[in-house]
Amino acid sequence: MGIVAVFLEVVAVLALMLTVSLSVVVGPERLRASLTELPERLRMAARPIGLLVVVLAINSRVRTTGVDLSWLIGFNITRLLFSIEGTVVATLQSAVPGWLTLYFGYVYVYGYAFLLVFPLLAGLVAAERRYLRHTAFAYIINYTIGMCCYLLFVSYGPRNYGIVEPLLFDTLPRFQLLTSEVNANTNVFPSLHTSLSMTVALLAIRDHETFPKWTPVAVFLAVSIVLSTMILGIHWATDVVAGTVLALFSVWVVSSPRVASLYGRCTSLYGRCTSLYGRWRGG
Amino acid sequence: MASRSGGDVGVTRRSALAGLTGGLAATSGCLGKIRALVGRNQPTTVSLSIKTRPVDQDPYAIAIARQLSEWFEAAGIRTSIQPITAEELYRQALINHEFDVFVGQFPGPFADPDAFYPLLHSTYSVESGMQNPFGYTNLLLDDLLERQRRETGRQRTETVTRIQRQLVQVCPFLVLGFPNVIRAARTDRFTGWNGVFDPSPVNLLGLNRNDESATRLRATTPDDRPTANLNPLMASHRGPSDITDLLYDTLAYRYRDTLYPWAATNWEWTDKEPLELEVTLREGLRWHDGRRLTASDVAFTYRLLQDTSLGSLSESVPTFRFRGRSSLVESAEAVDDTTVRLQFDDCSRQTARRVFTVPLLPEHVWEDRTDKATVSGVDVGVTTTDALVTSNIEPVGSGPLEFRSVTESQTLVLERFDDHFLSTSEETGLPSALSGGPPFEEFELQFVGSDASAVNLVANDEADVTALGVGPDLTSTIGRADDVSLNLERSGAFYFVGFNTRRSPLTNPRFRSTLARLVDRGALSESVFDGYVDPAVSPLSGTAWLPSDLAWEPTNPVTDFLGTGGTVDSERARKAFRAVGYRYNEQQRLLRS
Repeated sequence: MGIVAVFLEVVAVLALMLTVSLSVVVGPERLRASLTELPERLRMAARPIGLLVVVLAINSRVRTTGVDLSWLIGFNITRLLFSIEGTVVATLQSAVPGWLTLYFGYVYVYGYAFLLVFPLLAGLVAAERRYLRHTAFAYIINYTIGMCCYLLFVSYGPRNYGIVEPLLFDTLPRFQLLTSEVNANTNVFPSLHTSLSMTVALLAIRDHETFPKWTPVAVFLAVSIVLSTMILGIHWATDVVAGTVLALFSVWVVSSPRVASLYGRCTSLYGRCTSLYGRWRGG
Repeated sequence: MASRSGGDVGVTRRSALAGLTGGLAATSGCLGKIRALVGRNQPTTVSLSIKTRPVDQDPYAIAIARQLSEWFEAAGIRTSIQPITAEELYRQALINHEFDVFVGQFPGPFADPDAFYPLLHSTYSVESGMQNPFGYTNLLLDDLLERQRRETGRQRTETVTRIQRQLVQVCPFLVLGFPNVIRAARTDRFTGWNGVFDPSPVNLLGLNRNDESATRLRATTPDDRPTANLNPLMASHRGPSDITDLLYDTLAYRYRDTLYPWAATNWEWTDKEPLELEVTLREGLRWHDGRRLTASDVAFTYRLLQDTSLGSLSESVPTFRFRGRSSLVESAEAVDDTTVRLQFDDCSRQTARRVFTVPLLPEHVWEDRTDKATVSGVDVGVTTTDALVTSNIEPVGSGPLEFRSVTESQTLVLERFDDHFLSTSEETGLPSALSGGPPFEEFELQFVGSDASAVNLVANDEADVTALGVGPDLTSTIGRADDVSLNLERSGAFYFVGFNTRRSPLTNPRFRSTLARLVDRGALSESVFDGYVDPAVSPLSGTAWLPSDLAWEPTNPVTDFLGTGGTVDSERARKAFRAVGYRYNEQQRLLRS
């Protein structure tokens, strides 16, 4: 199966999961009701989504071509990570029965993609307008900080250190075509799988009222994904801890009224400056 | 010690002075002792860092490193492991000499005992590149290495035996074994996979095409270096079974232990002293860009290999590879368009033949690369030339395949060179397996993330063969796949542990040889290689040069292991290190001094 086939497989499964979950979580009535508002909603979503797309584009470039740069300027921390935690991941892997490997493999790929895309789509129909904006900004924070860490730190995951079995690629080797396409094997600190999943789960808990049925799904999936990164031998426990800290930080930033007021002041200052400039030019 | 300071309130100056003098006199004996104690440096513990390639790029290296680390720790040596991507690893180890211990595969087989010369001769210990990466210096060994170049017959055999015995004693590096490389290969399109990658991928020309519609040979590899660099002089990018062998011709080619004239038709010794040789090239040789390959290119190649600046810089800038071979040549000149005269340094004809296997480089391309390189990833304090930093994409060679396209970290595509002598001449004098030229129009090298996905691609008919070896855990996957055969090939590229003998305590041969006794090749063969290895102690194992006392056996005294059943006996290990002068602290950590 080539890379294109694997990609199509993921897209098809993802589309199915999204359709089912949207109709269950959001409900057909709300979906229908929001159809009339959709053009305006899309217009409002354009800015945060557009920014996210730009960050993702930069991110994917950095993740693949930045590798050479990070070998030059970055700190090689594989040894450090191993000395911090030793064989924690190996112990975890051996504690999990073999038949669960397939579950964690699929969760790592499909579950993750689904968990990230769902809040963006649901945000379009949510009554609270901040839902989508906050989600997009939290993603942007995660990706930006993650990207900087990948440039600064070079590290191989436990599977490359030979302390665990490379379970994902042994059981589902076709997915390696996909993962090696989007990421280099030295980008493990912090775990972006962890940070983004935890971000979604934390936001789901915060905005429980918006989609009550979504919260348990998001939390369950997020926990599964976090565990899968370690059980499949891809990430160190330290990467997961760092990812969780990053998630907490990003959710704090988008939720904090202080950050919001700072942002508001900055934009109003910017507005005043541009109007002054306009008057000066016009005057 | 009681000390009385002068200047206290209510103390007369005289009594204070008297007290001070008395105090000083009382402490003077003590001070001597303090100085003797404090003046000594605190003893520091020994710690070693093992650098090697990650699992994705080498199925065995990290596992070897982990096992070594366990054994060294048992002897009280703090050990850490650093997985590093191949290109960076070789740059650090071979060019900048930044390593303590290195685990890896030797880049190619020991075709002749003279391969020891560049690897261990003192004159190369300060150079960068594949020559003497261990920084090893030993006058006695230098003498033996020089002698074997001149000697022939039994004399040479004896000297080579002495070199091998020396090596086992002084251990600048440890040979672990020759891997039985596991490959997955599809049999529905091509057959005859045995021996097609080892020692050189030129042997791919011996494949049989079963399916006439199979025009493209598709190989996979977890090593992406060939997609970034095709410079045959670049040690950091060239490994065993190197792809540039297909792009560049050599004067002669070694096929199944026999040297066949390749770009040359024949060579004749001129009976002069020192040794002199006239090589005649085939008629009508061409470079991939259409220019004619003449004797002048060949002479240029040997001059460039000796000094890539061709004398334009104040110091000569030697290559990172082929140093042993290029050092044999005293001078090289073109007599006419197809004849080259080579004069040799003091060596035997047997050794002199080694120079035939260097890649021939086009003068019109490489003469522009002799200037001082201004930007490079290499330590910029060192003078280097463009020839040693260029990625050489697109390469212009004269080999049976020519460059078509490359996408970095994805694919490299080569295509059949129709003006190659294998395609144009009727009678080549080569073995029939090779003389027909490539049995395919294109050759594609596809980069994959790891050996498991490489096997997956072969099983799904998206690739024909895994160019590099895969891990033993994949044998059952290969066995289950349809139309896929499991190929085992004993590689001449042995696994070894290299020590940086420039760094204390690895400078000490007694330390290294005690360290060597912490390595159980038998246990490695089982736990790491799953039996897919022939354990060995000498690089010449498997050849007629190996003396019987250096053949590997579990009970062989030369490899006396300080433990049993793959576990180091800490008590015995400490005793062994103490016996060679080392000490331990209270935590049973080995001390540097």
